Amino acid sequence: MISAAVTGLLALFTPQSILFMIVGVIYGLVIGVLPGLGGIVAMALVLPFTFGFEPAAALALLLGAHAATVWGGSITGILFNVPGAAKTITSVFDGYPMTQRGEGARALGASAMAALLGGVIGAVFLVATIPIVRPLMLALGPSEYFMMALWGLTIIATFSEGSVIKGLIAAGLGILVAFIGMDPVTGTARYTFHSLFLLDGISFPVAMIGLFAVSQMLKLFVKGGTVVEAQVDTEVSTVWDGVRDTFEHWWLVLRSSLLGLWIGVLPGVGASVGGIAAYAQAAQTSKHPERFGHGAVEGVIGPDATLAATEGGGLLPTLAFGIPGGESMAILLAAFINMGITPGPQMLTSNLSLVFTMVWIIVISNILTTVIGLMTSKTLARSATLPARYLVPVVLAVCFMGAFATHGRVGDVVVAAIFGVVGYIMDKYNYSRADFVIGMVLATMIERDLHISLTLYGPTFIFTRPVTLAMFLFIVFTTLLPIVRRRLARARASAAEGSGPDGGAA
Amino acid sequence: MGRKARMRIIVGLVAVLALAGGLATAQSSSDYYAGKTVTLILPNSPSGQMTQYARMIAPYIAKHLGAKDVRVQNMQGGGGVVGANYLWHVKPDGMTIAFTSVPALVLAQLSGSQGVEFDATKFVYLGRAATEARVLVVGGKSKIQTIQDVENLGRPFIFPTQGTDEDFYTMAVLAYALNFDLKAVTGYQGNADTTLAVIKGEGDGHITAWHSSLAGIQAGDLRPILTIGDAREAGYPDVPTAVEVTQGNGKELVQAIVNMITMHRSFFGPPGMPEAAVSAMRSAVWAALHDPGLLADAQKQGLIIVPMQGAEEQPKVEQIAAAGQQIVPILKKAVAAIQ
Repeated sequence: MISAAVTGLLALFTPQSILFMIVGVIYGLVIGVLPGLGGIVAMALVLPFTFGFEPAAALALLLGAHAATVWGGSITGILFNVPGAAKTITSVFDGYPMTQRGEGARALGASAMAALLGGVIGAVFLVATIPIVRPLMLALGPSEYFMMALWGLTIIATFSEGSVIKGLIAAGLGILVAFIGMDPVTGTARYTFHSLFLLDGISFPVAMIGLFAVSQMLKLFVKGGTVVEAQVDTEVSTVWDGVRDTFEHWWLVLRSSLLGLWIGVLPGVGASVGGIAAYAQAAQTSKHPERFGHGAVEGVIGPDATLAATEGGGLLPTLAFGIPGGESMAILLAAFINMGITPGPQMLTSNLSLVFTMVWIIVISNILTTVIGLMTSKTLARSATLPARYLVPVVLAVCFMGAFATHGRVGDVVVAAIFGVVGYIMDKYNYSRADFVIGMVLATMIERDLHISLTLYGPTFIFTRPVTLAMFLFIVFTTLLPIVRRRLARARASAAEGSGPDGGAA
Repeated sequence: MGRKARMRIIVGLVAVLALAGGLATAQSSSDYYAGKTVTLILPNSPSGQMTQYARMIAPYIAKHLGAKDVRVQNMQGGGGVVGANYLWHVKPDGMTIAFTSVPALVLAQLSGSQGVEFDATKFVYLGRAATEARVLVVGGKSKIQTIQDVENLGRPFIFPTQGTDEDFYTMAVLAYALNFDLKAVTGYQGNADTTLAVIKGEGDGHITAWHSSLAGIQAGDLRPILTIGDAREAGYPDVPTAVEVTQGNGKELVQAIVNMITMHRSFFGPPGMPEAAVSAMRSAVWAALHDPGLLADAQKQGLIIVPMQGAEEQPKVEQIAAAGQQIVPILKKAVAAIQ
């Protein structure tokens, strides 16, 4: 095994592989920055260029580009409230408030460092979990996916402070929008008004571009000034603050990375759901869940570590069963076939060094991304202090181009514009856009997996499937935990108040 | 003469022959397309395999047509319906043709999908690029060993599926023809998801392309029990075809479905294309699919090429339409069962 690890690494030390990896990472960062375009597009576009090259170089280009899109997508989310890809949507929840506070560089640093650690931890555990991944995958099914989506839903509470009703309305709206199009269970057209465009549903990345980016630009245009709030004139943080934050929250990083590995393994759980589950995990296990949504650095660290770790996890279904875990793996599969490699369990015996090459590519491309990230964050963060009259037209143009590029349809540009107005109104009247997103992402997953669970296991499936029951109890526990904590803190505070005059501050 | 020199002469000869062949077809295919630009509509996503095929073949069609260019234009949406509708209404001068999965279009039409404006049997078929037989697999640990076991299961056969796609309809017709109860569980997210469900035993079996299931079959996680294609799969001579195991009326319906599946990746044009354009295009597609350059490209990209003449495809579509009247109620019933 160790010799395979070394051979796998050495295969990458050719000028061609190194060059391909650097090109892949830079290209992945650019694709990640463009709103609406993510890792799958990045891989699909370079796939034809990899034909005929040696496996290590071809994989370096493909996987390097894919891994780099994660941080690339976070950059614009953090700086301009423009989610670069569907899966990096959570970067706008806390990253953008940090930028508004003048801590953009810190958020970028934390994001880059978390992505590096997540990627590395994911890759290391990928190797360690190869023997146990088959039983793990066989143990989990639709009813467990359903529980995972439910867990994601509990995060609505985090964004609903002030008014739970408003939070629920926002989430409900998101669910309604997710229902537009072909119903995944029965193939019935819902809310399509006989329009073929609506039959395909509202594209998630396009809606996100509208809801966050376009609406933010509207707001900025109306208000004038800069992204960074007026009272903070300049950047008050450095990239190294973010790096330090990441190491201070090492336990969160480790947990998030393992969660990411797990999400990557499950073919039924998409990356955007993964991002939200990661955020839920970070918020619910935090000692200060009330800071989430207002620029908590943990809200940036957790999801980025998770997303980076899914890269490694995504390889596992292919290695364990020979089935591609997601769309990006399906593209890798095409590359494998071209190299004359049959993907599947036999890769672990006949092509182990190639498996290690892939692990190394993920590790090294994450390091490259982070180095580039740490070098450029300071300059990038300064762009958030640009006056609205320069920033708004540029960002809007990129957003609408991104909306068009997702499917090449003009209709998507209109959708982005409509959601821009919706987002602006929601923001103005304090309806959480984050809750809307959560509703929209989780609705389909809940619908699919609840339907499958009910059909296969009957109405009492929560109690008849042990893993599902354990997850259900875990959700109840983590939901109650903050409430109990708050009660305890309040009780302690009032007790302290009774005992002495200085005790009330807690 | 050394081996290298001999090799060089052979390569040279082949090149000359290929060039001569290319010129011959270019001359024979009339001047209808000379210097023109043809648009090739793809009702599929730019990142999928259909586009990979189209982009690979398009330059060779241009070469054999003598056209200036064959431009690939993705027009996705509505499960292929948007692009097919566009082709249905386009000016039939032969300058716009399409390439996609024919069974998807025919089934969208037969099952009464929303927004279908075209009649797939009235399109002009210009040639098939590729097809691959599909396979019904069950889990490696399943008690089901053969298709007869499915018929004698004594309970419904659980079929995990993404929704109402080609495989869902194929399964519905199979269940009707072989007279077994089918319980389709919809809502799965793609092939990986349903494969895992079958391996786990959460579902009894599902249908995929042969190549998607090969790794699982070789590892013993999956067991093939039925080939849905023209002939038994090479390497798996013990797995019968769907037509072999059915009788009477059921056999006809299954044959119609198999015909549909074998048309898979085809080129087609709008109804009313001029005769000159049809014959020029059919021979150019045929020549392109036999071009040594294309075959080398296909091998490099791991794509199979299984050509069929457009003229041979046309009557098949009519056959499908004739059987369609009988298939429609089966499809409607299958859809009603999951609603």
